[in-house]
Amino acid sequence: MRIPLLTFSLLLAATLPAAGEPAPAADLDARPLLTRYCYECHGDGASSGDLQLDAFKTLADVRKDKATWAKVIRYARTQTMPPPDAERQPTQAEREKMVGSLTLQVYDIDLKHPDPGPLVLRRLNQTEYRNTIRDLTGVTFDPTLDFPQDDTGYGFDNIGDVLTLPPMLLEKYLHAADKILDQAIPTDGSSNKMPEPMRKLFVRHLGPNGASTTRPVARDSDAARLILADFARHAWRRPPRVDEMDRLLRLYLFARKNGEHFFDGIKHAFKGVLVSPSFLFRGEIYAERVPGVRPVSEFELASRLSYFLWSTTPDDELLDLAGHGALRKNLDAQVKRMLASPKSKAFVENFAGQWLQFRNLDAAHPDPRMFEAYDDRVRDDMRRETQLFVESLVTDDRNPIELLTADYTFLNGRLAKYYGIPGVDGKDFRRVSLAGTNRRGILTQGSILTLTSNPTRTSPVKRGKWVLESLLGTAPPPPPPEVPALDGGDAKHQLTGTLRQRMEKHRADPNCASCHAPMDPIGFGLENFDAIGRWRDKDGKDPIDPAASFTDGSKFSGAVQLVDLLAKTRRNDFCRALTEAAMTYAIGRGVEPFDQPAVDRVAADLRKDDAKFTTLILGIIRSAPFQLRRGDTTASARSTTDLHGMIEAAVARTGDASPGGTTR
Amino acid sequence: MSAKWQIHRRTFLRGVGAALALPALDAMLPSLGSVVSAATSSPQKFPKRMAFVYVPNGVTMKDWMPAATGTDFELPRILQPLAAHKNDFSILSGFAQTQGFAHGDGAGDHARASASFLTGTHARKTSGSDIRAGVSVDQIAAERVGDQTVLPSLELSCDSGPRLGSCDSGYSCAYQFNLSWRSETMPMMPEVDPQQVFERLFGDVAGGANSQRARSRRAMFQQSILDFVSDDARRLQSRLGTNDRRKLDEYLTAVREIEKRVELAQKSSPRLPANVHSPEAHHGFEEHVRLMFDMLALAFQTDSTRVSTFIISHEGSNRPYPFAGVKEGHHEISHHQNNPEAIEKITKVNTFHARQFAYFLDKLKSVKEGDGTLLDNCMIVYGSGIGDGNRHNHDDLPVLLAGRGGGTITPGRHINAPPRTPLNNLYLSMLDRIGAPTDRFGDSTGRFDSIA
Repeated sequence: MRIPLLTFSLLLAATLPAAGEPAPAADLDARPLLTRYCYECHGDGASSGDLQLDAFKTLADVRKDKATWAKVIRYARTQTMPPPDAERQPTQAEREKMVGSLTLQVYDIDLKHPDPGPLVLRRLNQTEYRNTIRDLTGVTFDPTLDFPQDDTGYGFDNIGDVLTLPPMLLEKYLHAADKILDQAIPTDGSSNKMPEPMRKLFVRHLGPNGASTTRPVARDSDAARLILADFARHAWRRPPRVDEMDRLLRLYLFARKNGEHFFDGIKHAFKGVLVSPSFLFRGEIYAERVPGVRPVSEFELASRLSYFLWSTTPDDELLDLAGHGALRKNLDAQVKRMLASPKSKAFVENFAGQWLQFRNLDAAHPDPRMFEAYDDRVRDDMRRETQLFVESLVTDDRNPIELLTADYTFLNGRLAKYYGIPGVDGKDFRRVSLAGTNRRGILTQGSILTLTSNPTRTSPVKRGKWVLESLLGTAPPPPPPEVPALDGGDAKHQLTGTLRQRMEKHRADPNCASCHAPMDPIGFGLENFDAIGRWRDKDGKDPIDPAASFTDGSKFSGAVQLVDLLAKTRRNDFCRALTEAAMTYAIGRGVEPFDQPAVDRVAADLRKDDAKFTTLILGIIRSAPFQLRRGDTTASARSTTDLHGMIEAAVARTGDASPGGTTR
Repeated sequence: MSAKWQIHRRTFLRGVGAALALPALDAMLPSLGSVVSAATSSPQKFPKRMAFVYVPNGVTMKDWMPAATGTDFELPRILQPLAAHKNDFSILSGFAQTQGFAHGDGAGDHARASASFLTGTHARKTSGSDIRAGVSVDQIAAERVGDQTVLPSLELSCDSGPRLGSCDSGYSCAYQFNLSWRSETMPMMPEVDPQQVFERLFGDVAGGANSQRARSRRAMFQQSILDFVSDDARRLQSRLGTNDRRKLDEYLTAVREIEKRVELAQKSSPRLPANVHSPEAHHGFEEHVRLMFDMLALAFQTDSTRVSTFIISHEGSNRPYPFAGVKEGHHEISHHQNNPEAIEKITKVNTFHARQFAYFLDKLKSVKEGDGTLLDNCMIVYGSGIGDGNRHNHDDLPVLLAGRGGGTITPGRHINAPPRTPLNNLYLSMLDRIGAPTDRFGDSTGRFDSIA
């Protein structure tokens, strides 16, 4: 096997009965673990929170109530349960075994025949539209001025289901196409006035001297057909079909018959191309409906790669390889080429910027009177620091864990001074060592520290929550309504003392402890950084105490130690959270239970010491959800053949191009 | 602030916006004595308009709710800025959108509050797959009366900037940043830029080419594009399984709507009120809100639309209001825990919002229609899908109803409805008045005709 099955293959051997439908009375393989760790409150007659796990006697019972079991799985995974004060705590390995085996059984997942999930049609979002227009026509068009804000789902703005198309937006697309084409094609057709991609396109088919607008319609039509086919292939990211070409040409002829010049006729047809659903939506629609899971076409693969890594349309090289059916054969080399291209900055900005939320720094509003030092320039510097930092992890192909632990960052003179780091001058950003400073990795970068603060003060809870939610993927459930808040409290529950003291009182309440115990200490460890990311020793008059401990007894004395501790003890969670986020971004939908084997496989590779950023990216690109598609019939989402074999054959890799940890 | 329809003229671009025009617009201009409605062409009959204005995170009820009901009551603190309009709006208490409550879905009251506010439905809890709420009252109205105006409905918001993060507790951001839902799966994304709104409304005017021939020609060209793309969409759609067709359904619906507008544009000649120009770039939140209200008033004045929604700030917004003396985030302090200082700050934010609403009512009243004003022919709901930000309750909602609905509504009262009266009951009564009667929608249990 080139693609390792790791966790799940072990589990498979250990836990799954023979393939196919389980016997009617089959039980959960995790039953012994549940009995040991959960029954004290949720079994043997106990039913805390109305949950009695042994009331589900067979696997069939369990599958009838997936909602409940989804919660069981989530709480076990996020270490919400068993509660921290419970006497028996499963080891990490036991926890993973319980979660893995429950996922497989509750959702009846067949590892050999993965379900790649539903077909997702994704409308180009603002960023993708802008970049696509730029690469296709050479015209700079800023949709943020014209188009409404895209909605987001799962924290990302490229999720198919929420990228709706209200009438107003189609109206804007029509308008935008005019605006763009007016710049792309001057009415006189003079190619030296065209932006580069357009000039090349026309010169390819008309020669350097361009077209005469007075030639007979018949010969013009031949040229028009070539030009339109070429443009449509780029715009639609696949060759146009014959019927599409006929209709496109009719658009051109319509304009000509109504007295327009050759170039205005072309422009009219181009407008049709740019407003067509084939341009605005991506997602493979076959010419005919076909049953059964199969690899996506090479052209669809080119699009998936391109929008994943570049947030834009595939370039000629990708389209040409796809046209020759050679993209899968050259997948690794192409991914490397794409990551080396400056266009991959878009991946950092859009994936990392949304996953870690630093793209959202504008939404933080530190109070200007309390934080005079914070202004637009500082904000932009901070965002730039994080952008450059993550970019360097990608382009240098570092281990993603360095996101947490890196002892370097990127600063200019202004930001270095703001942080109190000496020896950096000038306005250019450069790599700066953090050795001997109080900072390490992303958790101590101004951008993150600011966007996880309130306008007037730090918020240890927000910081802790951000770490658990974004970095570790173990967000606690939200608080129940009417919990006493920090800043006040009524007369009866007046909370007094420093912020931390008040929080600790709050946490003494056992109702709050199970969620706050893993969250708050992280925030305490970062209290030396104020609400705009500057170092401080005191909070008002009170000295900061950045030491804290977790319920498992692990302790740290401040931010740097906290970061090391998280990197050591929470590495699995980090790898999984990163994989889930990147998978969501790559496939444009939420990660579903049937995706878990794919996620686990990538995450398992990622936690190895020699993992690199390409371990993540290639892992996702090679996964079933990225490579495969469901059939068009609803009868069965599953294939009948061994799909890992199919991916393997498809992704036939050559030489030793595999990233660390994936060859066996 | 008042003369914000400034001189700054933008170059208008040709395109669909340009191909669209206002029907018999000069009929709506106040300077013309005899007024003829574009829709009915019967004299002295003005169209009724409806709008819904949303403010987030609830209000300080003690500073909102008058002690007395009926017509003889003191305006509480928050509503003081509306004193000049006391006889033009009513305070409605006792209303609820109970579908905003958890009903087993746990946290996420902010998402559910905005998703239920105009729909009376329970939003499906999802971070992004298969979002689902319900058709909203404005879209029910737009479906019936929208074909009489250039824009069937107009959606506005002051929430510019990206929507990132996970939004409220496992709910897609779509629930919090949209108020209007055309279908249960398609929210109507709002415009946030006043200049864009202006361009959509009046693009053709400044674009020149106003001759009937030029307009017909452009409409014809536009139609050829629409034919091409809808053909495309239909062909693609036929190859998709039923579950995946939704996107192309949306697409085809949009094409049909634009086709209607292109048709309208051929028939009518556009006209802007004198001395009204595209708005300049705005500075600061208050100016932004007021410009949006300007655009909304202008759209109503010119009968460019009769149905609108406006999100002043999205539900759960943590925007600080330093210009109103509140430097903390709105959401943060709305969890006030009965702390008097926090409550005071919430009151300040609420009062600031009410002041902006007063500005809007000023604007509507400044436009004469027949013997009355534009406001007289409006029905404007102002409110929040949360009662008290600290409790996240979806009953005892703060709701105002401004305007006289063309003589069908008697404002100037505090009307106390029976506890937990569905807000959708009020909406049903409003739908009757705008000419879109409906038996029931969402969780309605009847009509609320005490507004008459």
